[in-house]
Amino acid sequence: MRFQLLVLLSALAAAPSAAAQVSITGIRDLTFGPVIVGIPSSVGPSHPTKSGRFRITAPLSSKVQIRFTLPDALAGPGGAQLPISFGSNDAMAIGSAPGSTPITFNPKATRNPQFQPSTAYDVFIGGTVTPAGNQQPGSYAATITLTITNF
Amino acid sequence: MRTGTVLSALVAAGLTVGAATAEGQTPNASIQATATVLSALSVAAGNNLVFGNVTPGVNKTIAITDGGAGTFTVTKAASSGVTLSFTLPTNLASGTDLLPIGSWSGAWNTSASTAGATAFTPSPAGTNTSVNAATALTVFVGATVSPPLGQAAGNYAGTVTMSAVYF
Repeated sequence: MRFQLLVLLSALAAAPSAAAQVSITGIRDLTFGPVIVGIPSSVGPSHPTKSGRFRITAPLSSKVQIRFTLPDALAGPGGAQLPISFGSNDAMAIGSAPGSTPITFNPKATRNPQFQPSTAYDVFIGGTVTPAGNQQPGSYAATITLTITNF
Repeated sequence: MRTGTVLSALVAAGLTVGAATAEGQTPNASIQATATVLSALSVAAGNNLVFGNVTPGVNKTIAITDGGAGTFTVTKAASSGVTLSFTLPTNLASGTDLLPIGSWSGAWNTSASTAGATAFTPSPAGTNTSVNAATALTVFVGATVSPPLGQAAGNYAGTVTMSAVYF
């Protein structure tokens, strides 16, 4: 009995929980590239090289919620701000399972991906930057965060 | 038995703690959104493409290195490349009389000199310059007029239009 309980305790301590196996990785930046003063520029979530990309992995049948934290502007030289906006179809998710269909969604809303049958999801994001007519030329950047909540 | 009870309690406690940690986890990852704002492009006409006097039946060519070559100036952002596109006439006109023009030649340079300029053929489809640090380009244009033997005398003119966009 004593031996059995010790074995059970060891097994529970060593086994990773389902939550611990949920992971998320930033794969690719959302890259607008060169934009011209006074001319808005958009990148769609399905763009093969410019859209932002995350990868989420979770055990089969996991229940998670994903939520973007989005900037209102990119920061540039001398504190200049470049407005960025996200439309209702500027996010897209596709599962890793064969035959998975891409689903577009609003990046400003939470979403509950179903990890069945896929155990990995690629989440893409696009957006629109709107440089003003007198926008300061230079490089601009901001952070986009994707957060997973287990439940 | 006493040991078993204690261990059972430890196991139960461990499970409870583990479940609470799972619910509280909020893994996240971040990427960057980036953009490079470029100043507006501008294109200015420079010298006209001037053939001067031509003789009926004798073709006349103005090369990009000739004094009569046409020029444009592009003002652009540093560290950028542009596509140069042209709308080119097939004839110069003098009233209803037409003087054929073709065999267009071009070159662009980061200075106002043809020395070291990069040659290209002007076309509506466009030609990409290199991505370079310059904030101005000079574009040179040449062509050939082909007056037939029966070409009517007169002053002939046509319009060459160049546009530039970032690529």
